[in-house]
Amino acid sequence: MRELLAAYPPLVRSATLAAVTYRGRAVLGVITGFFPLLTMAVWLTVVAEGGPPAGWTTGDFLSYYAAATLLWNLSGNHVVWQWDADMRSGDLSVRLLRPVHPFHQYTSSDLGHRLVLLTMLAPALAVAALLVPGLDYPANPVRLVAVAVALALAYGVSLLMASTFALIGFWSTQTTNMWMLWWGLGSFTSGWVAPLALMPDWVRTAASVLPFRTTMGFPIELLMGRLDVRQTLYGFAVGLGWLAVFALLYRITWRRGVRRYQAVAG
Amino acid sequence: MTGWTRHARILLICWRAAVASEVEYRLNFVSNVALSMFWMLWAVAGASVYFRYTGAVAGWTNAEVLVVIGLFFTLNGLRQMLLQPNLERMTDYVRLGTLDFLLIKPFDAQLLVSLRHLNVNTLLDPVLGLALTTTGIVLAGRGTSVTALASFAWMLACAVLLMYALTVLMMALAVKLVAAEELGRVGYAFVELSRFPVDLYRNPVQTILTVVPIAFLTTYPAAALLGRLNPSMLLLAPAAAACAVIFATLAWRRSLRSYAGASA
Repeated sequence: MRELLAAYPPLVRSATLAAVTYRGRAVLGVITGFFPLLTMAVWLTVVAEGGPPAGWTTGDFLSYYAAATLLWNLSGNHVVWQWDADMRSGDLSVRLLRPVHPFHQYTSSDLGHRLVLLTMLAPALAVAALLVPGLDYPANPVRLVAVAVALALAYGVSLLMASTFALIGFWSTQTTNMWMLWWGLGSFTSGWVAPLALMPDWVRTAASVLPFRTTMGFPIELLMGRLDVRQTLYGFAVGLGWLAVFALLYRITWRRGVRRYQAVAG
Repeated sequence: MTGWTRHARILLICWRAAVASEVEYRLNFVSNVALSMFWMLWAVAGASVYFRYTGAVAGWTNAEVLVVIGLFFTLNGLRQMLLQPNLERMTDYVRLGTLDFLLIKPFDAQLLVSLRHLNVNTLLDPVLGLALTTTGIVLAGRGTSVTALASFAWMLACAVLLMYALTVLMMALAVKLVAAEELGRVGYAFVELSRFPVDLYRNPVQTILTVVPIAFLTTYPAAALLGRLNPSMLLLAPAAAACAVIFATLAWRRSLRSYAGASA
Protein backbone atom coordinates (compact mmCIF):
# COMPACT_ATOMS: atom_id res chain seq x y z
CA MET A 1 0.00 0.00 0.00
CA ARG A 2 2.79 2.40 0.91
CA GLU A 3 4.58 1.59 -2.33
CA LEU A 4 1.40 2.29 -4.26
CA LEU A 5 0.95 5.68 -2.58
CA ALA A 6 4.57 6.50 -3.32
CA ALA A 7 4.03 5.67 -7.00
CA TYR A 8 1.09 8.07 -7.39
CA PRO A 9 2.79 11.50 -7.20
CA PRO A 10 5.33 10.84 -10.00
CA LEU A 11 2.69 9.14 -12.18
CA VAL A 12 0.26 12.01 -11.71
CA ARG A 13 3.04 14.51 -12.33
CA SER A 14 4.01 12.91 -15.63
CA ALA A 15 0.37 12.91 -16.73
CA THR A 16 0.12 16.58 -15.74
CA LEU A 17 3.16 17.38 -17.85
CA ALA A 18 1.67 15.52 -20.80
CA ALA A 19 -1.58 17.47 -20.42
CA VAL A 20 0.32 20.76 -20.22
CA THR A 21 2.38 19.89 -23.29
CA TYR A 22 -0.75 19.27 -25.33
CA ARG A 23 -2.64 22.15 -23.69
CA GLY A 24 -4.10 23.19 -27.04
CA ARG A 25 -5.98 19.90 -27.07
CA ALA A 26 -7.15 20.40 -23.50
CA VAL A 27 -8.45 23.89 -24.27
CA LEU A 28 -10.22 22.61 -27.38
CA GLY A 29 -11.74 19.84 -25.28
CA VAL A 30 -13.11 22.37 -22.82
CA ILE A 31 -14.49 24.63 -25.56
CA THR A 32 -16.18 21.82 -27.44
CA GLY A 33 -17.66 20.49 -24.20
CA PHE A 34 -20.22 23.27 -24.29
CA PHE A 35 -23.29 21.07 -24.56
CA PRO A 36 -24.48 22.05 -21.04
CA LEU A 37 -24.36 25.71 -22.12
CA LEU A 38 -26.62 24.95 -25.11
CA THR A 39 -29.28 23.46 -22.85
CA MET A 40 -28.82 26.43 -20.55
CA ALA A 41 -29.42 28.85 -23.43
CA VAL A 42 -32.76 27.18 -24.16
CA TRP A 43 -33.76 27.35 -20.49
CA LEU A 44 -32.93 31.07 -20.44
CA THR A 45 -35.34 31.53 -23.35
CA VAL A 46 -38.00 29.60 -21.44
CA VAL A 47 -37.49 31.90 -18.43
CA ALA A 48 -37.60 35.04 -20.56
CA GLU A 49 -40.83 34.00 -22.28
CA GLY A 50 -42.90 32.39 -19.58
CA GLY A 51 -41.24 33.20 -16.27
CA PRO A 52 -39.14 30.94 -14.05
CA PRO A 53 -40.09 27.24 -14.45
CA ALA A 54 -40.55 25.65 -11.00
CA GLY A 55 -39.11 28.82 -9.47
CA TRP A 56 -35.77 28.56 -11.32
CA THR A 57 -34.61 32.04 -12.28
CA THR A 58 -32.02 33.06 -14.86
CA GLY A 59 -29.45 33.29 -12.06
CA ASP A 60 -30.22 29.75 -10.92
CA PHE A 61 -29.70 28.37 -14.42
CA LEU A 62 -26.45 30.31 -14.86
CA SER A 63 -25.11 29.02 -11.53
CA TYR A 64 -26.23 25.48 -12.25
CA TYR A 65 -24.75 25.16 -15.72
CA ALA A 66 -21.49 26.96 -14.90
CA ALA A 67 -20.94 24.37 -12.17
CA ALA A 68 -22.15 21.58 -14.49
CA THR A 69 -19.44 22.50 -17.00
CA LEU A 70 -16.86 22.13 -14.23
CA LEU A 71 -18.29 18.78 -13.10
CA TRP A 72 -18.36 17.49 -16.66
CA ASN A 73 -14.64 18.17 -17.03
CA LEU A 74 -13.99 16.63 -13.64
CA SER A 75 -15.54 13.25 -14.37
CA GLY A 76 -13.49 10.05 -14.43
CA ASN A 77 -15.47 8.62 -17.37
CA HIS A 78 -12.62 9.01 -19.80
CA VAL A 79 -10.76 5.93 -18.54
CA VAL A 80 -13.26 3.70 -20.41
CA TRP A 81 -11.79 4.72 -23.75
CA GLN A 82 -8.23 4.20 -22.57
CA TRP A 83 -8.97 0.69 -21.26
CA ASP A 84 -10.83 -0.19 -24.44
CA ALA A 85 -8.03 1.02 -26.71
CA ASP A 86 -5.39 -0.90 -24.74
CA MET A 87 -7.40 -4.13 -24.65
CA ARG A 88 -7.89 -3.93 -28.41
CA SER A 89 -4.31 -3.12 -29.29
CA GLY A 90 -2.79 -5.48 -26.72
CA ASP A 91 -1.00 -2.63 -24.95
CA LEU A 92 -2.65 -3.87 -21.77
CA SER A 93 -0.04 -6.66 -21.77
CA VAL A 94 2.70 -4.08 -21.29
CA ARG A 95 0.74 -2.45 -18.50
CA LEU A 96 0.26 -5.79 -16.76
CA LEU A 97 4.04 -6.22 -16.62
CA ARG A 98 4.55 -2.97 -14.75
CA PRO A 99 4.77 -3.05 -10.94
CA VAL A 100 1.67 -0.85 -10.54
CA HIS A 101 -1.80 -2.33 -11.23
CA PRO A 102 -3.29 -1.06 -14.55
CA PHE A 103 -6.19 0.50 -12.63
CA HIS A 104 -3.77 2.82 -10.87
CA GLN A 105 -1.92 3.56 -14.09
CA TYR A 106 -5.12 4.74 -15.75
CA THR A 107 -6.32 6.55 -12.63
CA SER A 108 -3.08 8.46 -12.07
CA SER A 109 -2.97 9.43 -15.72
CA ASP A 110 -6.57 10.62 -15.62
CA LEU A 111 -5.97 12.49 -12.34
CA GLY A 112 -3.12 14.41 -13.96
CA HIS A 113 -5.39 15.55 -16.76
CA ARG A 114 -8.21 16.49 -14.37
CA LEU A 115 -5.79 18.55 -12.26
CA VAL A 116 -4.74 20.61 -15.26
CA LEU A 117 -8.35 21.17 -16.35
CA LEU A 118 -9.36 22.05 -12.81
CA THR A 119 -6.61 24.66 -12.45
CA MET A 120 -7.81 26.23 -15.72
CA LEU A 121 -11.54 26.07 -14.98
CA ALA A 122 -11.85 26.76 -11.24
CA PRO A 123 -10.43 30.33 -11.47
CA ALA A 124 -12.63 30.99 -14.51
CA LEU A 125 -15.67 29.85 -12.53
CA ALA A 126 -14.66 32.01 -9.55
CA VAL A 127 -14.23 35.07 -11.76
CA ALA A 128 -17.56 34.38 -13.48
CA ALA A 129 -19.24 34.11 -10.06
CA LEU A 130 -17.85 37.56 -9.16
CA LEU A 131 -18.60 39.29 -12.46
CA VAL A 132 -21.81 37.81 -13.88
CA PRO A 133 -24.86 39.20 -12.10
CA GLY A 134 -27.14 36.43 -10.96
CA LEU A 135 -24.43 33.79 -11.07
CA ASP A 136 -23.86 33.40 -7.36
CA TYR A 137 -23.01 30.68 -4.87
CA PRO A 138 -23.92 31.23 -1.22
CA ALA A 139 -20.51 30.31 0.15
CA ASN A 140 -19.64 29.64 3.76
CA PRO A 141 -16.61 27.68 5.04
CA VAL A 142 -18.55 24.58 6.11
CA ARG A 143 -20.36 24.36 2.80
CA LEU A 144 -17.15 24.83 0.81
CA VAL A 145 -15.54 21.93 2.68
CA ALA A 146 -18.62 19.80 2.05
CA VAL A 147 -18.55 20.72 -1.65
CA ALA A 148 -14.86 19.79 -1.88
CA VAL A 149 -15.64 16.37 -0.36
CA ALA A 150 -18.64 15.98 -2.70
CA LEU A 151 -16.42 16.77 -5.72
CA ALA A 152 -13.93 14.11 -4.63
CA LEU A 153 -16.80 11.66 -4.17
CA ALA A 154 -18.18 12.58 -7.61
CA TYR A 155 -14.84 11.84 -9.18
CA GLY A 156 -14.41 8.62 -7.21
CA VAL A 157 -17.83 7.21 -8.11
CA SER A 158 -17.57 8.14 -11.80
CA LEU A 159 -14.06 6.70 -11.97
CA LEU A 160 -14.94 3.40 -10.29
CA MET A 161 -18.16 3.06 -12.27
CA ALA A 162 -16.31 3.65 -15.54
CA SER A 163 -13.44 1.34 -14.59
CA THR A 164 -15.85 -1.46 -13.66
CA PHE A 165 -17.61 -1.00 -16.99
CA ALA A 166 -14.30 -1.00 -18.86
CA LEU A 167 -13.64 -4.54 -17.62
CA ILE A 168 -16.54 -5.80 -19.78
CA GLY A 169 -13.86 -5.53 -22.46
CA PHE A 170 -12.50 -8.89 -21.29
CA TRP A 171 -15.70 -10.51 -22.58
CA SER A 172 -16.95 -8.21 -25.35
CA THR A 173 -15.73 -5.84 -28.03
CA GLN A 174 -18.72 -3.51 -27.57
CA THR A 175 -17.64 -1.92 -24.28
CA THR A 176 -17.71 1.70 -25.41
CA ASN A 177 -21.15 1.37 -26.98
CA MET A 178 -22.51 -0.29 -23.83
CA TRP A 179 -20.92 2.43 -21.75
CA MET A 180 -22.57 5.15 -23.83
CA LEU A 181 -25.93 3.43 -23.43
CA TRP A 182 -25.39 3.26 -19.65
CA TRP A 183 -24.21 6.85 -19.48
CA GLY A 184 -27.05 8.05 -21.72
CA LEU A 185 -29.68 6.41 -19.52
CA GLY A 186 -27.92 7.71 -16.43
CA SER A 187 -27.78 11.27 -17.77
CA PHE A 188 -31.49 11.69 -17.02
CA THR A 189 -30.92 10.99 -13.33
CA SER A 190 -27.53 12.71 -13.01
CA GLY A 191 -28.69 16.26 -13.65
CA TRP A 192 -27.05 16.37 -17.10
CA VAL A 193 -30.17 16.48 -19.27
CA ALA A 194 -31.78 19.05 -16.96
CA PRO A 195 -31.54 20.03 -13.29
CA LEU A 196 -33.24 17.25 -11.33
CA ALA A 197 -35.59 19.75 -9.70
CA LEU A 198 -37.20 20.27 -13.13
CA MET A 199 -37.59 16.56 -13.90
CA PRO A 200 -40.78 14.55 -13.33
CA ASP A 201 -41.21 13.09 -9.83
CA TRP A 202 -40.55 9.49 -10.85
CA VAL A 203 -37.21 10.47 -12.40
CA ARG A 204 -36.28 12.27 -9.19
CA THR A 205 -37.21 9.25 -7.11
CA ALA A 206 -35.03 7.05 -9.32
CA ALA A 207 -32.22 9.60 -9.16
CA SER A 208 -32.22 9.58 -5.36
CA VAL A 209 -31.13 5.93 -5.24
CA LEU A 210 -29.09 5.56 -8.47
CA PRO A 211 -25.36 6.32 -8.61
CA PHE A 212 -25.51 9.06 -11.26
CA ARG A 213 -26.67 12.01 -9.15
CA THR A 214 -23.52 11.71 -7.02
CA THR A 215 -21.41 12.39 -10.10
CA MET A 216 -23.07 15.69 -11.07
CA GLY A 217 -26.34 16.88 -9.57
CA PHE A 218 -25.48 16.37 -5.90
CA PRO A 219 -22.30 18.50 -5.75
CA ILE A 220 -23.97 21.26 -7.79
CA GLU A 221 -27.09 21.37 -5.62
CA LEU A 222 -24.83 21.45 -2.56
CA LEU A 223 -22.80 24.31 -4.03
CA MET A 224 -25.96 26.25 -4.83
CA GLY A 225 -27.13 25.89 -1.24
CA ARG A 226 -30.28 23.99 -2.20
CA LEU A 227 -29.82 21.12 0.24
CA ASP A 228 -30.50 21.12 3.98
CA VAL A 229 -28.42 19.09 6.44
CA ARG A 230 -30.58 15.97 6.15
CA GLN A 231 -30.55 15.97 2.34
CA THR A 232 -26.80 16.59 2.37
CA LEU A 233 -26.11 13.63 4.66
CA TYR A 234 -28.43 11.45 2.58
CA GLY A 235 -26.56 12.44 -0.61
CA PHE A 236 -23.21 11.57 0.94
CA ALA A 237 -24.57 8.25 2.21
CA VAL A 238 -25.84 7.25 -1.24
CA GLY A 239 -22.55 8.30 -2.85
CA LEU A 240 -20.40 6.41 -0.38
CA GLY A 241 -22.65 3.36 -0.73
CA TRP A 242 -22.17 3.31 -4.50
CA LEU A 243 -18.44 3.89 -4.10
CA ALA A 244 -18.28 0.71 -2.02
CA VAL A 245 -20.51 -1.23 -4.44
CA PHE A 246 -18.41 -0.34 -7.47
CA ALA A 247 -15.14 -1.00 -5.63
CA LEU A 248 -16.39 -4.49 -4.80
CA LEU A 249 -17.78 -5.11 -8.30
CA TYR A 250 -14.51 -3.94 -9.79
CA ARG A 251 -12.45 -6.38 -7.69
CA ILE A 252 -14.67 -9.36 -8.48
CA THR A 253 -14.83 -8.57 -12.21
CA TRP A 254 -11.10 -7.95 -12.46
CA ARG A 255 -10.22 -11.33 -10.88
CA ARG A 256 -12.49 -13.19 -13.28
CA GLY A 257 -11.73 -11.08 -16.33
CA VAL A 258 -7.97 -10.95 -16.27
CA ARG A 259 -7.86 -14.76 -16.38
CA ARG A 260 -9.65 -14.60 -19.72
CA TYR A 261 -7.37 -11.96 -21.16
CA GLN A 262 -5.56 -13.02 -24.30
CA ALA A 263 -3.32 -10.37 -25.76
CA VAL A 264 -4.30 -9.81 -29.38
CA ALA A 265 -1.08 -8.07 -30.20
CA GLY A 266 1.80 -6.87 -28.16
CA MET B 1 -19.40 15.69 -68.82
CA THR B 2 -17.30 12.53 -69.23
CA GLY B 3 -15.04 13.89 -66.51
CA TRP B 4 -17.97 13.92 -64.11
CA THR B 5 -19.11 10.40 -64.90
CA ARG B 6 -15.56 9.11 -64.60
CA HIS B 7 -15.19 10.76 -61.19
CA ALA B 8 -18.53 9.39 -60.04
CA ARG B 9 -17.64 5.89 -61.24
CA ILE B 10 -14.30 5.88 -59.41
CA LEU B 11 -15.87 7.17 -56.19
CA LEU B 12 -18.47 4.39 -56.40
CA ILE B 13 -15.67 1.83 -56.67
CA CYS B 14 -13.97 3.34 -53.61
CA TRP B 15 -17.22 3.20 -51.63
CA ARG B 16 -17.93 -0.39 -52.65
CA ALA B 17 -14.51 -1.37 -51.33
CA ALA B 18 -15.16 0.56 -48.10
CA VAL B 19 -18.51 -1.18 -47.57
CA ALA B 20 -16.98 -4.59 -48.33
CA SER B 21 -14.29 -4.10 -45.70
CA GLU B 22 -16.75 -2.88 -43.09
CA VAL B 23 -19.48 -5.52 -43.42
CA GLU B 24 -16.95 -7.93 -41.92
CA TYR B 25 -17.85 -6.42 -38.55
CA ARG B 26 -21.56 -7.16 -38.45
CA LEU B 27 -21.95 -7.09 -34.69
CA ASN B 28 -20.34 -3.68 -34.67
CA PHE B 29 -22.83 -2.48 -37.26
CA VAL B 30 -25.86 -3.77 -35.36
CA SER B 31 -24.56 -2.34 -32.10
CA ASN B 32 -23.96 1.06 -33.69
CA VAL B 33 -27.40 1.18 -35.26
CA ALA B 34 -28.92 0.34 -31.86
CA LEU B 35 -26.88 3.13 -30.29
CA SER B 36 -27.98 5.60 -32.99
CA MET B 37 -31.62 4.81 -32.25
CA PHE B 38 -30.95 5.20 -28.55
CA TRP B 39 -29.35 8.63 -28.96
CA MET B 40 -32.31 9.75 -31.00
CA LEU B 41 -34.78 8.68 -28.31
CA TRP B 42 -32.46 10.32 -25.78
CA ALA B 43 -32.59 13.63 -27.66
CA VAL B 44 -36.39 13.43 -27.97
CA ALA B 45 -36.84 12.69 -24.25
CA GLY B 46 -34.31 15.38 -23.32
CA ALA B 47 -36.05 18.06 -25.39
CA SER B 48 -39.44 17.15 -23.92
CA VAL B 49 -38.28 18.39 -20.49
CA TYR B 50 -38.55 22.01 -21.69
CA PHE B 51 -42.11 21.46 -22.77
CA ARG B 52 -43.17 20.36 -19.30
CA TYR B 53 -43.10 24.08 -18.50
CA THR B 54 -44.20 25.75 -21.70
CA GLY B 55 -46.24 24.95 -24.81
CA ALA B 56 -43.76 26.52 -27.20
CA VAL B 57 -40.25 27.94 -26.98
CA ALA B 58 -39.72 30.94 -29.26
CA GLY B 59 -42.71 29.82 -31.33
CA TRP B 60 -41.56 26.22 -31.73
CA THR B 61 -43.79 23.51 -30.29
CA ASN B 62 -42.42 20.18 -29.13
CA ALA B 63 -43.48 18.46 -32.38
CA GLU B 64 -41.81 21.17 -34.47
CA VAL B 65 -38.60 20.82 -32.48
CA LEU B 66 -38.68 17.09 -33.31
CA VAL B 67 -38.56 18.03 -37.00
CA VAL B 68 -35.31 19.88 -36.34
CA ILE B 69 -33.84 17.14 -34.14
CA GLY B 70 -34.58 14.63 -36.91
CA LEU B 71 -32.76 16.82 -39.41
CA PHE B 72 -29.86 17.15 -36.99
CA PHE B 73 -29.50 13.36 -36.91
CA THR B 74 -29.85 13.20 -40.70
CA LEU B 75 -27.07 15.70 -41.31
CA ASN B 76 -24.85 14.45 -38.52
CA GLY B 77 -25.27 10.89 -39.79
CA LEU B 78 -24.25 12.00 -43.28
CA ARG B 79 -21.27 13.81 -41.80
CA GLN B 80 -20.16 10.75 -39.84
CA MET B 81 -20.70 8.48 -42.82
CA LEU B 82 -19.14 10.49 -45.66
CA LEU B 83 -16.94 13.21 -44.24
CA GLN B 84 -15.60 12.29 -40.82
CA PRO B 85 -13.74 9.09 -41.91
CA ASN B 86 -11.86 11.14 -44.51
CA LEU B 87 -11.06 14.05 -42.22
CA GLU B 88 -9.78 11.57 -39.62
CA ARG B 89 -7.15 10.31 -42.02
CA MET B 90 -5.74 13.74 -42.80
CA THR B 91 -3.27 13.75 -39.89
CA ASP B 92 -1.68 10.53 -41.09
CA TYR B 93 -1.71 11.66 -44.73
CA VAL B 94 0.33 14.70 -43.80
CA ARG B 95 2.48 13.19 -41.05
CA LEU B 96 3.44 10.10 -43.05
CA GLY B 97 3.56 11.90 -46.36
CA THR B 98 1.02 9.52 -47.94
CA LEU B 99 -0.86 12.56 -49.21
CA ASP B 100 1.76 12.57 -51.99
CA PHE B 101 0.32 9.38 -53.45
CA LEU B 102 -3.19 10.83 -53.50
CA LEU B 103 -2.06 14.05 -55.13
CA ILE B 104 -0.32 12.32 -58.03
CA LYS B 105 -3.37 10.20 -58.95
CA PRO B 106 -5.16 11.25 -62.16
CA PHE B 107 -8.22 12.31 -60.19
CA ASP B 108 -9.39 15.54 -58.58
CA ALA B 109 -7.37 15.64 -55.35
CA GLN B 110 -10.03 17.39 -53.29
CA LEU B 111 -12.75 14.89 -54.20
CA LEU B 112 -10.45 11.94 -53.61
CA VAL B 113 -9.19 13.13 -50.23
CA SER B 114 -12.58 14.31 -48.99
CA LEU B 115 -14.85 11.50 -50.20
CA ARG B 116 -12.80 8.34 -50.69
CA HIS B 117 -13.62 6.59 -47.42
CA LEU B 118 -17.01 5.68 -46.08
CA ASN B 119 -18.14 4.66 -42.60
CA VAL B 120 -21.11 2.32 -42.92
CA ASN B 121 -21.84 2.32 -39.18
CA THR B 122 -24.04 5.39 -39.48
CA LEU B 123 -25.57 4.33 -42.80
CA LEU B 124 -29.03 4.23 -41.24
CA ASP B 125 -28.76 7.50 -39.30
CA PRO B 126 -30.10 9.70 -42.12
CA VAL B 127 -33.02 7.29 -42.55
CA LEU B 128 -33.76 7.28 -38.81
CA GLY B 129 -33.41 11.06 -38.72
CA LEU B 130 -35.86 11.57 -41.57
CA ALA B 131 -38.26 9.15 -39.87
CA LEU B 132 -38.16 11.36 -36.76
CA THR B 133 -38.67 14.46 -38.93
CA THR B 134 -41.72 12.82 -40.51
CA THR B 135 -43.04 11.93 -37.06
CA GLY B 136 -42.62 15.55 -36.03
CA ILE B 137 -44.56 16.75 -39.08
CA VAL B 138 -47.40 14.31 -38.39
CA LEU B 139 -47.54 15.30 -34.70
CA ALA B 140 -47.50 18.99 -35.63
CA GLY B 141 -50.71 18.11 -37.46
CA ARG B 142 -50.62 20.81 -40.08
CA GLY B 143 -49.91 18.52 -43.01
CA THR B 144 -47.57 19.45 -45.81
CA SER B 145 -47.71 20.41 -49.48
CA VAL B 146 -45.77 19.73 -52.65
CA THR B 147 -44.30 23.26 -52.51
CA ALA B 148 -43.19 22.74 -48.91
CA LEU B 149 -41.61 19.38 -49.78
CA ALA B 150 -39.83 20.79 -52.82
CA SER B 151 -38.43 23.78 -50.95
CA PHE B 152 -37.43 21.44 -48.11
CA ALA B 153 -35.46 19.22 -50.53
CA TRP B 154 -33.85 22.32 -52.00
CA MET B 155 -32.85 23.70 -48.57
CA LEU B 156 -31.59 20.30 -47.41
CA ALA B 157 -29.35 19.98 -50.48
CA CYS B 158 -27.89 23.40 -49.65
CA ALA B 159 -27.35 22.27 -46.05
CA VAL B 160 -25.44 19.18 -47.21
CA LEU B 161 -23.25 21.33 -49.46
CA LEU B 162 -22.56 23.72 -46.58
CA MET B 163 -21.51 20.85 -44.37
CA TYR B 164 -19.25 19.52 -47.10
CA ALA B 165 -17.62 22.94 -47.43
CA LEU B 166 -17.08 23.07 -43.68
CA THR B 167 -15.28 19.73 -43.76
CA VAL B 168 -13.06 20.69 -46.69
CA LEU B 169 -12.14 23.81 -44.76
CA MET B 170 -11.18 21.62 -41.78
CA MET B 171 -9.08 19.47 -44.13
CA ALA B 172 -7.27 22.51 -45.44
CA LEU B 173 -6.53 23.51 -41.86
CA ALA B 174 -5.43 19.95 -41.11
CA VAL B 175 -2.70 20.21 -43.75
CA LYS B 176 -1.26 23.12 -41.78
CA LEU B 177 -2.03 22.12 -38.20
CA VAL B 178 -1.71 18.30 -38.49
CA ALA B 179 -4.41 17.95 -35.84
CA ALA B 180 -7.33 16.39 -37.71
CA GLU B 181 -8.78 14.79 -34.57
CA GLU B 182 -9.25 18.12 -32.83
CA LEU B 183 -10.49 19.77 -36.02
CA GLY B 184 -12.98 16.95 -36.39
CA ARG B 185 -14.27 17.81 -32.93
CA VAL B 186 -14.61 21.47 -33.90
CA GLY B 187 -16.55 20.37 -36.98
CA TYR B 188 -18.82 18.27 -34.80
CA ALA B 189 -19.29 21.20 -32.42
CA PHE B 190 -20.56 23.30 -35.34
CA VAL B 191 -23.09 20.67 -36.29
CA GLU B 192 -24.04 20.16 -32.64
CA LEU B 193 -25.16 23.80 -32.55
CA SER B 194 -27.84 22.88 -35.08
CA ARG B 195 -29.48 20.38 -32.71
CA PHE B 196 -32.20 22.90 -31.80
CA PRO B 197 -33.82 25.63 -33.94
CA VAL B 198 -31.60 28.72 -33.64
CA ASP B 199 -34.64 30.75 -32.53
CA LEU B 200 -34.44 28.90 -29.21
CA TYR B 201 -31.32 30.86 -28.31
CA ARG B 202 -31.50 34.51 -27.38
CA ASN B 203 -29.61 37.28 -29.11
CA PRO B 204 -26.75 37.84 -29.74
CA VAL B 205 -26.16 34.07 -30.08
CA GLN B 206 -29.11 33.73 -32.44
CA THR B 207 -27.80 36.37 -34.87
CA ILE B 208 -24.30 34.88 -34.77
CA LEU B 209 -25.66 31.43 -35.62
CA THR B 210 -27.57 32.88 -38.57
CA VAL B 211 -24.47 34.60 -39.94
CA VAL B 212 -22.14 31.64 -39.29
CA PRO B 213 -24.74 29.61 -41.32
CA ILE B 214 -25.69 27.15 -38.57
CA ALA B 215 -29.31 28.18 -39.17
CA PHE B 216 -29.04 26.93 -42.77
CA LEU B 217 -28.21 23.40 -41.58
CA THR B 218 -31.45 22.43 -39.86
CA THR B 219 -33.55 25.43 -38.86
CA TYR B 220 -34.38 26.70 -42.35
CA PRO B 221 -34.96 23.29 -43.95
CA ALA B 222 -37.34 22.53 -41.07
CA ALA B 223 -39.07 25.88 -41.53
CA ALA B 224 -39.44 25.07 -45.24
CA LEU B 225 -41.07 21.75 -44.40
CA LEU B 226 -43.42 23.46 -41.93
CA GLY B 227 -44.32 25.97 -44.64
CA ARG B 228 -43.15 29.09 -42.83
CA LEU B 229 -39.83 29.79 -44.50
CA ASN B 230 -39.11 33.31 -45.62
CA PRO B 231 -39.08 32.79 -49.46
CA SER B 232 -35.94 34.91 -49.87
CA MET B 233 -34.06 32.07 -48.11
CA LEU B 234 -34.65 29.88 -51.17
CA LEU B 235 -32.17 32.13 -52.98
CA LEU B 236 -29.97 33.04 -50.04
CA ALA B 237 -29.28 29.40 -49.06
CA PRO B 238 -27.77 28.28 -52.39
CA ALA B 239 -25.78 31.52 -52.53
CA ALA B 240 -24.39 30.86 -49.05
CA ALA B 241 -23.65 27.22 -49.94
CA ALA B 242 -21.91 28.18 -53.18
CA CYS B 243 -19.81 30.82 -51.45
CA ALA B 244 -18.84 28.34 -48.74
CA VAL B 245 -17.82 25.68 -51.26
CA ILE B 246 -15.78 28.17 -53.30
CA PHE B 247 -14.11 29.54 -50.18
CA ALA B 248 -13.28 26.04 -48.89
CA THR B 249 -11.92 24.95 -52.27
CA LEU B 250 -9.68 28.01 -52.46
CA ALA B 251 -8.48 27.39 -48.89
CA TRP B 252 -7.75 23.74 -49.78
CA ARG B 253 -5.72 24.69 -52.87
CA ARG B 254 -3.84 27.31 -50.89
CA SER B 255 -2.97 24.86 -48.13
CA LEU B 256 -1.70 22.35 -50.71
CA ARG B 257 0.72 24.97 -51.96
CA SER B 258 2.29 25.10 -48.51
CA TYR B 259 2.38 21.30 -48.24
CA ALA B 260 5.94 20.06 -48.67
CA GLY B 261 5.58 16.26 -48.45
CA ALA B 262 7.07 14.52 -45.43
CA SER B 263 8.14 11.29 -47.12
CA ALA B 264 8.67 10.68 -50.84
